[in-house]
Amino acid sequence: MSRVVVCTWGTTGGAEELLTLGHGVATALGTELTWLVVGATAEDLGGIAGRHGVATVDRIVDAKLTTFGGDVAVEALAQYARQFEFRLWLVPQTFDARLTAPRLAARIDAGVVMNGLALGADGGEIAVTASAFGGDTRVVYLLAGAERYIVGMSTSALAVEPAPTATTPPVRDVALDLNGTEERIQVVARTETSGPRIEEATILVAGGRGLGDKANYRLVEELAEALGGMAAASRPIVDEGWAEPARQVGLTGKITRPQLYVAAGISGASQHMVGCAAAKTLVAINRDPEAAIFRYAKYGIVGDCLEILPALTRAVKG
Amino acid sequence: MALRIVVCAKEVLDPDAVNNYALEGKLVIGNDGKSLTQSSIPRLMNAYDEQAIEAALRIREAGVACTITVVSVGDPGDILKHAASLGIDEPVAIQADTAALDHHGIAKLLAAFVQSRGGADLVLCGRQGSDGDQGVVSALVGEHLGLPIVTIARAIDVTVAGDTFGVRVVRVTPDGDETVAVAAPAVVTVSNELGQARYPTMAGRMAARKKKITSVTPTDLGVAADALRPKVTLTKQFVPTVKGACEMIAGATADEAAANLIARLRAESVLR
Repeated sequence: MSRVVVCTWGTTGGAEELLTLGHGVATALGTELTWLVVGATAEDLGGIAGRHGVATVDRIVDAKLTTFGGDVAVEALAQYARQFEFRLWLVPQTFDARLTAPRLAARIDAGVVMNGLALGADGGEIAVTASAFGGDTRVVYLLAGAERYIVGMSTSALAVEPAPTATTPPVRDVALDLNGTEERIQVVARTETSGPRIEEATILVAGGRGLGDKANYRLVEELAEALGGMAAASRPIVDEGWAEPARQVGLTGKITRPQLYVAAGISGASQHMVGCAAAKTLVAINRDPEAAIFRYAKYGIVGDCLEILPALTRAVKG
Repeated sequence: MALRIVVCAKEVLDPDAVNNYALEGKLVIGNDGKSLTQSSIPRLMNAYDEQAIEAALRIREAGVACTITVVSVGDPGDILKHAASLGIDEPVAIQADTAALDHHGIAKLLAAFVQSRGGADLVLCGRQGSDGDQGVVSALVGEHLGLPIVTIARAIDVTVAGDTFGVRVVRVTPDGDETVAVAAPAVVTVSNELGQARYPTMAGRMAARKKKITSVTPTDLGVAADALRPKVTLTKQFVPTVKGACEMIAGATADEAAANLIARLRAESVLR
């Protein structure tokens, strides 16, 4: 039967996007879709799964499972994978999944591909289009030569659509034996971030090197405040210490999808665009009319962001 | 007992040069439909791997007695010489045709190498290759060796207690820094947040000339050709097209341009 499994931690990380993709692929492969939910969730799993044409919902809930990234989680997934057959296992590419997915693959001798942007099954062959060179290129990986594959998919560019035919899948609890597994890595300290997160903001104003100096980051913050949004930053200025790491957008930072993204003094390097390309409306402000950022933007202003940012703040307030 | 550190490193195409070509729309894909063949793109050590070597050197400088081995699969180009010039103890090249290997095969060879040396206390890897960005080899190596894996380190601190080593890692997560503790042996991946990797000194360069690169084959490591058969095959590479339909908002002054933009965003209901 060689099922397609969509595996998520609760319902987070783009579960419905991945279920939409998973259902399409399962149909193309002539097989069924299973949704494996790890960790407790209050959501109506059967209802969500039914809309997406899921055949079975499997649930793993265990008091020892505290994260999707640790030794217990990998052991739980490996036990599940040994118990139930599948051909393709899809995970949303969350921070934890970047480690969990390849570890699981090694445990069960499956093939693994991460950074997936698109996935298709044609004539029974599965191919994944993934991002490479920080987003500068796309590579296509053919999944042939192993029986099973784990694929990490970036869900920010995937659509959510209900399946043509809804289902009423059973929700079953899968019992595993995790008694012998202990976390080998102990968390000693954690910087607690409180307050709103840029991933959830509807309006973002991001600053880059074009600000010229740390003190000018306040212009970004002022416009963000005037717009009722949040301030964000490119990697170079976070590296310089002009802005907090929690504000960093891009490949090594946050993947955002706001309604409005204002990029000020940001050149538009691919690794940055990975984190904001899903914005509904992107506005670019840059001195260089040839800057790459304008190729992604809907609206642009060619000018010095040190003049344009305060002018925008005045225009919003005015 | 000295801490045995093995750093895994690879040669990549300079990602900044690739980025520049891509931004100018001049990145050329070779006739095979998947290779970047422009000879003007320099080849250098994956910067994340350079930072993994830097992390190893900092552990030594912190006063922990250690041996540092740097291992690379395939043609190492100049990266092992570069590693040698930084003062590592042994550069090792595993002879293999990387074009015929996938990340699973690379990981098997690296794990087999570590095993061939009777294990390592600390296996350090860059967080990902800056070419393929997959970031899976470190996890695969860790699993093959049965070791815990700590990812995205900004700092690594090793404490010695008799014959055992404790490792404390500050890792970068999307929610801020996290400090974790693990007992060696362990795999740790290193990120750019570690900070600038050092440059070789003139004396280091001179010493590196005399340093011999150890060469091993998959057969030496007991890895059969069959075990290296790829599971994943790269069939194509292309440059994504960008829509490029930006409407430029003008104005005689900054204030006028700003007012025009805000008016436009309000008209489009992007702003209220």
